[in-house]
Amino acid sequence: MNILRWLVFGIAAIAMNFPVIVTLITSFKSAKEIAMNPGLIVQAPTFANYARVLTDTSRFNIYAYLFNSTVAAFIGSFLALLLTLPAAYAIVRTGVGKKHLLPVVANLRAVPLVVFAIPLYMMFQFVGLLDTRIGLGLILTIVNLPLSLMMMVNAISDIPGEIDEAARMDRASAFVILRRIVGPVIRPAIVTAFIFGFITAWNEYLFGLMLTTRQAVPITVGSSFFFSASGGGVQWGIASAVMVLGAMPPAILGCLIYRQLTGSMTAGAVKG
Amino acid sequence: MAQIKLDGTSKVFGDITVIPPLDLEIGKGEFVVFVGPSGSGKSTLLRLIAGLEQVSGGRIYIEGRDITTTPCGDRGLAMVFQSYALYPHMTVRQNMAFPLEMAGEAKASINRSIEETAHVLDITRFLDRRPAQLSGGQRQRVAIGRAIVRNPTAFLFDEPLSNLDAALRSSTRLEIMKLHQQLGATMIYVTHDQVEAMTMADRIVVLNHGKIEQVGTPQELYERPANLFVAEFIGAPRMNRIEGEAAAALGAGTIGVRPEHIRIVQESGLWQATVEVIENLGAESHVHTRSDVAGPLVVRMSGSPGVKIGDRIGLSPADGFVHRFDRHGMALR
Repeated sequence: MNILRWLVFGIAAIAMNFPVIVTLITSFKSAKEIAMNPGLIVQAPTFANYARVLTDTSRFNIYAYLFNSTVAAFIGSFLALLLTLPAAYAIVRTGVGKKHLLPVVANLRAVPLVVFAIPLYMMFQFVGLLDTRIGLGLILTIVNLPLSLMMMVNAISDIPGEIDEAARMDRASAFVILRRIVGPVIRPAIVTAFIFGFITAWNEYLFGLMLTTRQAVPITVGSSFFFSASGGGVQWGIASAVMVLGAMPPAILGCLIYRQLTGSMTAGAVKG
Repeated sequence: MAQIKLDGTSKVFGDITVIPPLDLEIGKGEFVVFVGPSGSGKSTLLRLIAGLEQVSGGRIYIEGRDITTTPCGDRGLAMVFQSYALYPHMTVRQNMAFPLEMAGEAKASINRSIEETAHVLDITRFLDRRPAQLSGGQRQRVAIGRAIVRNPTAFLFDEPLSNLDAALRSSTRLEIMKLHQQLGATMIYVTHDQVEAMTMADRIVVLNHGKIEQVGTPQELYERPANLFVAEFIGAPRMNRIEGEAAAALGAGTIGVRPEHIRIVQESGLWQATVEVIENLGAESHVHTRSDVAGPLVVRMSGSPGVKIGDRIGLSPADGFVHRFDRHGMALR
């Protein structure tokens, strides 16, 4: 029974991650081997694709794309938290916006992002934010707002109101309560929201494609440039290496989430 | 001069008047207990004094200063909450330091205050633990410690023992009483438990539907309840309530006799009754009877009851211990 369970688990894991596995394996194959050996076993492993991507930056600079993505994703996730933490605190503690505003903001997530693309392009053109990392970061902030707000509201709702009241009796201002009490207590939720936001922002493609051209191109858009880096047909090995490199930061952050999801900081705060 | 004075203080939530305008004066060093059933407004009244709720009308004075609109942190009061409300991410030491840090005290002074308070409450060995690592009783002591370090004008307790088990509740009750004697500070204590109120209070404020039914010492409330509500709320088992002919015979709309003031007289007696249930508590017994004219009556006796279920007995109230009330439930003197 146990063997069967592991077998099912193994098959499911391979099936779900098959595209990733193929990409990873392909990145270690030479162009010749890719053409001759489509199998999953690499006969002559090579780092040539990675070397090419990392050293030949004359036409497409992966470092710039990674840097752009890092900055934009950081802005997109950090700014979203900076806005949603006090907003969520106000919503939970005063009830203002809980009935109408919260569902509206939460449902922004359900609207296809392309709906925003054309008006945003025009607005960005007007204010000079096209092809800037800050501009891309601001859009990614909006993308992250709904989930971040929901996560903050849920986390703060779990903190008993009496803790706030105790802090108010101790002469703490709303800002101090947020910074010294609420913030640290919901730290796991904040970190999780940041990492989720960062991953979402990192993997965002549509706005990167529409709003950037040269200076602020993120890795998702930049990766596609490598497909035909040497001209002619698609360079699968190089493209795979770029995709592996580009997927590594969010993958590492993804692993970190699970360490944050354990334990509750409110344990022992109130009765029990 | 009263240390805390409520002058026509009221609270309205939407269309509902939770506390109609009331007046109350609390003296320096007094231990005052607000007691009443659920929804009586006792916690709301405490929160109005604390500043956690804004009054809808009237004024509140502390040491002669009008603090009606003063933010809660600036009223010089410390509050101990029912659920302890400790900061979960901080150690006991940090929890106790927090109010002093907010008051801008120097680090050395903060440490000294914490050490002294921890010694008084015997929580020194827990100072570097977090609330999650403490038992319920220890957490409550820390919550009290956090209040003490501030050296407040008055302490406010909002049902602080409700989450403790019976044994711990009893011992913590004693600790709070000792603390009151030791500190000599004014304390306002909210509870729904009349035993807590009777044992701890210098004065009890009995509340019902936001109205003060009576203010007095525990003995005054027990011996001379102002009305039926107070008479029945104070004392356990509750006072026997007798209406109809039996009450009219004594010139009252309703009469009340405490279970400890009814005697079992085998043959004669004012009321004939049948024994229905006997609760034997060892040191005393509660004999539940049903009288032909007076209805259900409980008799409290010391030791074993000497009667058994189904016995026909005569019951007589002790002289001078029959409380008479008019048709509106107000005491007749």
